[in-house]
Amino acid sequence: MKIKRNQKIERTSKKQGPNGTPVKAAPKPKMGTQIIPKERYTSSDYMHQEWDKLWTKVWLLACREEDLPEPGDHYVTEIGVESILLVRQKDMSIRAFYNVCQHRGNKLVHSFEQPQEAAQSFKCKYHDWEYGLDGGFVDIPDLETFPQGAPDCSGLASLPCDTWGSFVWFSLNPDVEPLKDYLGIIPEHLNPYHFERMVLTKTLTVEWDCNWKASVDAFNESYHVQGIHPQLLYYLDDKDIQIDCYEKHNRYLIAFSVLSPRVIAPGEIPAPIKVVMKGAGMDPAAYEGSVYDIRKDVQKFKRENGPEQGKDYSELNDDQLTDDYHYMIFPNITMNVHADDMMMFRQRPHPEDPNKMFFDYYMYELPDNEFDQEEHIRPKHKTYKYGDVSLGLVINQDAYNLPHVQKGMNSAGYKGLWIGDQELRVRHFHKTLEDYLEK
Amino acid sequence: MDLGLRNKNVLITGSTAGIGRRIANLFADEGANVAICSRTPESVNKAVKEISLTADGRIIGAPCNIKDKESYESWVENMVEQLGGVDIFIPNVSAGGGNDSERNWWNNFEVDVLGTVRGVEAVLPHMEEKGGAITMICTTAAIETFMEPQPYNALKASLITYSKQLSQAHGKDNIRVNSVSPGPIHFEGGAWEMIKTSNQKFFEITEKTHALKRMGTPEEVANCVVFLSSDASSWVTGVNLVVDGGYTKRVQF
Repeated sequence: MKIKRNQKIERTSKKQGPNGTPVKAAPKPKMGTQIIPKERYTSSDYMHQEWDKLWTKVWLLACREEDLPEPGDHYVTEIGVESILLVRQKDMSIRAFYNVCQHRGNKLVHSFEQPQEAAQSFKCKYHDWEYGLDGGFVDIPDLETFPQGAPDCSGLASLPCDTWGSFVWFSLNPDVEPLKDYLGIIPEHLNPYHFERMVLTKTLTVEWDCNWKASVDAFNESYHVQGIHPQLLYYLDDKDIQIDCYEKHNRYLIAFSVLSPRVIAPGEIPAPIKVVMKGAGMDPAAYEGSVYDIRKDVQKFKRENGPEQGKDYSELNDDQLTDDYHYMIFPNITMNVHADDMMMFRQRPHPEDPNKMFFDYYMYELPDNEFDQEEHIRPKHKTYKYGDVSLGLVINQDAYNLPHVQKGMNSAGYKGLWIGDQELRVRHFHKTLEDYLEK
Repeated sequence: MDLGLRNKNVLITGSTAGIGRRIANLFADEGANVAICSRTPESVNKAVKEISLTADGRIIGAPCNIKDKESYESWVENMVEQLGGVDIFIPNVSAGGGNDSERNWWNNFEVDVLGTVRGVEAVLPHMEEKGGAITMICTTAAIETFMEPQPYNALKASLITYSKQLSQAHGKDNIRVNSVSPGPIHFEGGAWEMIKTSNQKFFEITEKTHALKRMGTPEEVANCVVFLSSDASSWVTGVNLVVDGGYTKRVQF
């Protein structure tokens, strides 16, 4: 769609105090203009290289610390062929193990993405081999019938595990760098949002017919808004976006509650902007200003009325009160970060098929008060097949399109991704991926 | 057919954009003197300049907040004085649709209803001697169920009744009062342009609902407003002219 108006988004130039999120634009990395080969999305060989050199090397997000409040509480997540068991220890630390019994290879805990309450120990359902919370053997029935004795591993295979930002992370790489080093700029940028104050209000997994990177790419650029999400042209500026690439991770800052320069203000306030105003406690019907001023006025209103509503925005700058500070934590976490909520996607590869993936969707919201936070009941996780569940209009639009992208990638008539400046994060993501695969 | 609009003095509220602007353009094309208003001086000045480019008559305007009784009444007096009288009045400005809170009812009451009533009462004394025409802008949302129960629909309906009764009361002074009820009208910067972009399916279904299988244009509404307000329709008063390409389905006996 053609650009119809000149529009320059006014952005805050200073961070909000010493702990605020940095706002300055990062230097633009020079990454060339090469085509990105489509085989990355379609080849089994590439998929196996990713397993060997990426998934088994990086830090991966598992769950939330609050999913494991008491010793013995545990949680099972999956990556590729691996099932991972996370356990709250008696000393309140969290440990990660391969979720597999050392006897005959049975999966030890049969659950997925659903917090499990305090276990004293973990007993394999096959032959009752029992493990302590620290993964060590507690009981091997009829041990005397094993002339070789117990396995010399002393229990479950342990993995690096650490926490940041209310989330629990693990790595399949025993020699992985410390999580803090891996995350780089991320804690400094996102700590001001205090994710630990937000509660999980929706969690589900959908199997999508596309490579996991097709999904990461789709959420790493806003060039596709005009094609896939035209309704968002009345909600955000899809053109004047600040794109910042850091070492492994990247972000873009996208103004919400504004109109795209591709459209002209209608006589009324667009419905999605009204939703924002109402969310902030404003009455759209009482708004006398121009549609073009709503973003700034919502910022002002939230700054003034936030404390009274029990919302602590003290570490967030004005832009953060309306805009999407959108982060990609390499390799597979997409965070749509807002003052009052955070919509997170975790993109996982299918264990066997490069044409499939698992899309994990999480919605975190700031509760209205502490009481609500304490009383909050975590929603049950569910896994769906493509098309069986709605993820809201915007994600549905992406989900509808992605299988077509994957099919096209497999065509002999397609060579690879032809990437423009608006898709800089896509190129940066691929550059980081290349760096891992060339190691 | 001569519409007889040359040198007629026309006041239009809310006339710098949309349907109101097209009405102003057409009156100007027909040689009338036109007075316009909107909330900001910038938009008034810009519109006056643009309309003047092709106009034979005088084009004037001033900013005015329709919700503010004094500001509105002094705009009417000021324009009437500058033009040397008023022959035609088009109360066009509207607060539009919306159902966010009770505030919407006040908005539509203040802008659509009082914005018409106060203007009518201010122009009537100037029309009593020589006669005149008042054409109100209503909507098909007033005569058939549309979208949702909302103040815009209900309060626009009140104007249809008001215009009919005015036409009976002031016919003796040769003042004609009519209303025009447009259906969905599509133009850049309008609500239907937003719907076309955001929800193309609904837009297309709405298009097909019209007997004429498309959306109306603001020019097509302006044609009817200008005709009803002109001497060419001197024998028409008290009607509500539905201009909707067959969007509504009722039979108007």
